[in-house]
Amino acid sequence: MTFDAYWAAVDEELAAIPGRPVLDVVPARTTDEATFSTVRITSTGPYRVYGNLSIPKGDGPFPGLLVTPRYGSVNNIPHPNDRSRYVVLSLMHRGQRLADEGFAAAYPGLLTMHVDDPQTYVYRGIAADCLRAAEFLLGLTEVDPARVAVTGDDLAVLTAARRPGFSTVRVTDLLFYRAMEARLKSCMYPLEELNDHLRGGSSTSALSTTLSYFDPSRHAPAVTGRTLLAVDDAEWCESLLSALPDPEVYQVTHLDGTDNDFLDAWLAERSGVPAMSKFVA
Amino acid sequence: MRDPENATVEVELPADFDDFWAAGLADCACYPLDPVLTEMPTLSTDTVIVYDLRFTSYGGLRIAAWYAVPRAGTAPYPGLVTIPGYISEPTVPKEWAELGYATLAIAPRGKLRSNDVFNPGYPGLLTHNIVDPNTYGYRGFYLDVVRAVEVLLDRPDVDNLRIGLQGSSQGGGLGISTAALLPDAIRCVAAGAPYLCGIMTAPTLTRSYPYEEINEYLRIHPKDVDRVRETVAYYDGLNFAPKVQAPTLIYLGLEDDVCPPETGFALHRTLTCETTLHTYPHCAHHAGLPDVMRVVEDFLAEHLTPGR
Repeated sequence: MTFDAYWAAVDEELAAIPGRPVLDVVPARTTDEATFSTVRITSTGPYRVYGNLSIPKGDGPFPGLLVTPRYGSVNNIPHPNDRSRYVVLSLMHRGQRLADEGFAAAYPGLLTMHVDDPQTYVYRGIAADCLRAAEFLLGLTEVDPARVAVTGDDLAVLTAARRPGFSTVRVTDLLFYRAMEARLKSCMYPLEELNDHLRGGSSTSALSTTLSYFDPSRHAPAVTGRTLLAVDDAEWCESLLSALPDPEVYQVTHLDGTDNDFLDAWLAERSGVPAMSKFVA
Repeated sequence: MRDPENATVEVELPADFDDFWAAGLADCACYPLDPVLTEMPTLSTDTVIVYDLRFTSYGGLRIAAWYAVPRAGTAPYPGLVTIPGYISEPTVPKEWAELGYATLAIAPRGKLRSNDVFNPGYPGLLTHNIVDPNTYGYRGFYLDVVRAVEVLLDRPDVDNLRIGLQGSSQGGGLGISTAALLPDAIRCVAAGAPYLCGIMTAPTLTRSYPYEEINEYLRIHPKDVDRVRETVAYYDGLNFAPKVQAPTLIYLGLEDDVCPPETGFALHRTLTCETTLHTYPHCAHHAGLPDVMRVVEDFLAEHLTPGR
């Protein structure tokens, strides 16, 4: 199946399934600054996934921010700094905690779950979860449609590529990018899962074929928003950078206080809100 | 302007602190460890053998871990317990086994592979029954790490005179509590960005999670503040610190919004054992990563002598 046909089929499946979102306010996380709610919404499968949604108090519309899920069982709750500035939605994809009714992802294991067949690969559904979250956020009346950002790893690139409406894309990590090469660099997880899977008898060609549908370099040309890619090794990322339309590059310093502040300020400036450091000096 | 190094962080020591933890250890002793190892061929490599490990802990719960042993060299190996952070699952510790350690990466109760009975969720663990020290969620969680060390002490492929603890954030905090509860068993502790130290002070210095969970709890249960303070005093690293005897490495990010550096400095001041402190300006909760890992590796190698 071609790349375009593969993803068109995902879009068609999503379009056929109503999201039917349910929001429940969380008093403990609701403050004078923002109202915090949990969100449950249907994605492909059908499967109910979970999100944390916070909407600033006061007169909107406000800039929107979608936080795509990281690789791991838990995603952090949006920080109060972000809750005060953005309509922020952080997604728990299928299998992560709070979205694990019926399917609890294994760690290690998620990255290679059903990876031998692109049609059944778990990340096909996870990508759909991100797209569903994007549709939900973009549809909120409190969100200023001219100022909507997505942040995260490769899933942020994929989401921005497949859902027009994101004016800003901040990429802070990479999972699928050149994964079949990156797996050879160390025995560190999650990419070590690919080596584990191959030891179990799978073929490199099967893995390569499936993972190629998720490589951000293939999605990048469709991204229309201004994009920042935080990189440790710009040379390694060259093929992704060349595929993105006019990306900005941030060379991480590994002084994470400095890096966090830069990444916050970059997004804030493009969203028309003040920069804020999580560390209050 | 904050002055983390000189800030006052005070925690009251409960009068029955030692009895409280002695009772927990006594409960654990009622249950045989009953370790069961299952070799995992697809997780093992040319240099490391990986096992799924299960053992019994506080309250009779079965706890999961990964156990990774080097193929090279000759047993007994130095033992290392790696302790996970608050939101992370323990990864298979192949990198430590490759350095020569028989390494146990524990999934304390509530982590995915150990949550059949106890599953407070994330967020949730920090405030689970936080008004009652005897049923507080961290009670068994702390003791699970102690039991992991006891598993290594019984292993024929581990030199029980060379056992260390390594972790960052929650892993750093529990490294301190475990070394205090097993002072004769632990040879060294590497604790990065230690969490669970100055537990009631930290939420006043940050709005980042997990400490923000306490602010949220008190937002809807403001009358519980004294009971919360009473509970967490039993679990505070500052109250465990004077009991630690093993050489201890502490490393801190001076702009850490998750575990405020004030609390890390307070821990360092409270430790009476041999300590090494590394501080990293402009660093947040990574506390010097990735460069600090070389410091950690050198520290552990100095005290545990892998390859000896």
